[in-house]
Amino acid sequence: MKRSYFAGPYAVWMILFTIAPMIFVVFYAFHTTDGGITFDNIIRCFDATTMKVFLRSVKLALMCTMLCLLLGYPAAYILASKDFSKYKMLFVLFILPMWMNFLLRTYATMSLLENRGIINTVLEKLGFERVNMIGTEGAVLFGMVYNFLPFMILPIHTSLKKMDTRVIEAAQDLGANPFRVFARVTLPLSVPGVISGITMVFMPAVTTFAISRLLGNGNFMLLGDMIEKQFMESHDWSFGSALSLFMMILIMLSIGLLNRIEPNKGEGGGKW
Amino acid sequence: MYEDTKLIELKSISKSFGDTEVLKNINVYIRRREFVTLLGPSGCGKTTMLRIIGGFETPDAGQVIFDGKDIQKVPPYRRRVNTVFQKYALFTHLNVYDNIAFGLKLKTPEELLPNVKKPSRKQVKEEIDRRIRRMLKLVKMEGYEKRSVDALSGGQQQRIAIARALVNEPEVLLLDEPLGALDLKLRKEMQLELKSMQQQLGITFIYVTHDQEEALTMSDTIVIMNGGRIQQIGDGKSIYDEPKNAFVANFIGDSNILPGVMHKDFEAEFAGHVFECVDEGFKENEPVDVLVRPEDIMLIGSDVGMLVGEVKSVLFKGVHYEMKVDTGDFVWKVHSTTMYPAGSRVGLSIVPSNIHIMRRMEAEGKIEA
Repeated sequence: MKRSYFAGPYAVWMILFTIAPMIFVVFYAFHTTDGGITFDNIIRCFDATTMKVFLRSVKLALMCTMLCLLLGYPAAYILASKDFSKYKMLFVLFILPMWMNFLLRTYATMSLLENRGIINTVLEKLGFERVNMIGTEGAVLFGMVYNFLPFMILPIHTSLKKMDTRVIEAAQDLGANPFRVFARVTLPLSVPGVISGITMVFMPAVTTFAISRLLGNGNFMLLGDMIEKQFMESHDWSFGSALSLFMMILIMLSIGLLNRIEPNKGEGGGKW
Repeated sequence: MYEDTKLIELKSISKSFGDTEVLKNINVYIRRREFVTLLGPSGCGKTTMLRIIGGFETPDAGQVIFDGKDIQKVPPYRRRVNTVFQKYALFTHLNVYDNIAFGLKLKTPEELLPNVKKPSRKQVKEEIDRRIRRMLKLVKMEGYEKRSVDALSGGQQQRIAIARALVNEPEVLLLDEPLGALDLKLRKEMQLELKSMQQQLGITFIYVTHDQEEALTMSDTIVIMNGGRIQQIGDGKSIYDEPKNAFVANFIGDSNILPGVMHKDFEAEFAGHVFECVDEGFKENEPVDVLVRPEDIMLIGSDVGMLVGEVKSVLFKGVHYEMKVDTGDFVWKVHSTTMYPAGSRVGLSIVPSNIHIMRRMEAEGKIEA
């Protein structure tokens, strides 16, 4: 079993960068700043202010995931269709934002949405009134959708692309018109792609920071911002760790929930 | 047995993919209740022909007539045909029962129960269930309703694919090399089962295969194709006995094909010898292809044979021995139940009715089907 040695470096990596930090997080979460064991930090996670931030984070992340799904599925579908396979450039354009730093993208969004930003300047030139966009919840949501949309498109696109065209033909052959082919075959078969798209959008969305600070003018603090604040401003590492722990459990629960939705092969029948 | 009415007719069908001409001026008709096999090597256009009938390809030229109507513009989901796809194409997100139910659930209650006035949901459900159970019984897959299709063996998946298509009671069932992935024994079993299903249900079958034995076993009519053209249409026996050209002769059964010259009616020369034969209507001294089936050559003493040669190799094939006999001009393939050891000298004798003369040009595919 010599091959198991190859796993060595990964084991070291995991211990150094995953397990050790986790231990630190747990350690800090249950200790006061001067070293005593406490549950106060955990209890604080459930007070009114934190709950408000938590609920807002989840609400925005859910809305962002929904919007990404509604925008991303048709985009992935069109990009995966035969007629578009020639236009590889189009696909690249959809994925291109992923190649840029996420802060950079958010700053760019900022300059679009600002009160004296590009959109408002154009609106004024055209004789319309300026619209206040920056600092609204809508702006935060827009920033999140813009940032995370490619993560929805990619997995769905992959699952549609690798779908066997004969299965589609079989459905047509059995009397399904294009609408029914989609509803009864294409959509159910792309569910794994949708699930991983949702996971890949929801997870970063619920933990995101900076977007809300930059586009929401700090009016809509999210869980990620709150954690950042504990470490960078309040220097309350213990509470920050407790919040991190809380968020990790939240993500674990949501992944568990998603995996339950994923249709077990063979049980998928009868669902339509 | 089939009726003498044309159900499907392909008229001057041509189809190209890019620069490749896949079908060249195809003319063929298929009768009601007929078991027709499209037979040919891979790339001969047989699958494309099937896909044109199914509606998955549009011909560049020509007409597809179904029951007297041109169905060129009818999309696949409105055609009264169903297909058993190569590699089955089952719905992996549905279990066996729901795979078979797929087509039935797309039908209107009135289509399912034409004799019932305003059928209730319950009646529809029961009717669907009744048909599925009957179909599962037909393909011998009772008790597999709730299984995942991924958990089935190749032969079982095959049966479900057939059931899924047949349950809709199509007028025509299209089968695209449905037994290709099965092992020999199972394939033979399924051939017989398919044939008996076809006779039992009285449905027209159009069957695509490259396996000549399969074609001979099952078909009422065989359409032999090569290079996008139809080479010959006929029942198995007539094609075997009277192949129109060297390609057909080679494709169906074992054969010795050699060049020859037709001196005059009933007299041909090949392999350095003049033979009496039963063919006529050729030009004087017309170059021809001559076909002699290996089982039609009799091995006799070297002093009395029409041709004399030396046995080069012997293979035991079960029922018979296959021997290669070199007569100098040609190496003959001979099937015989009597074995002559390699190196021995034998005489070859062929009776006139077993010599089959074919026109040369026909091999180029210039015949009208």
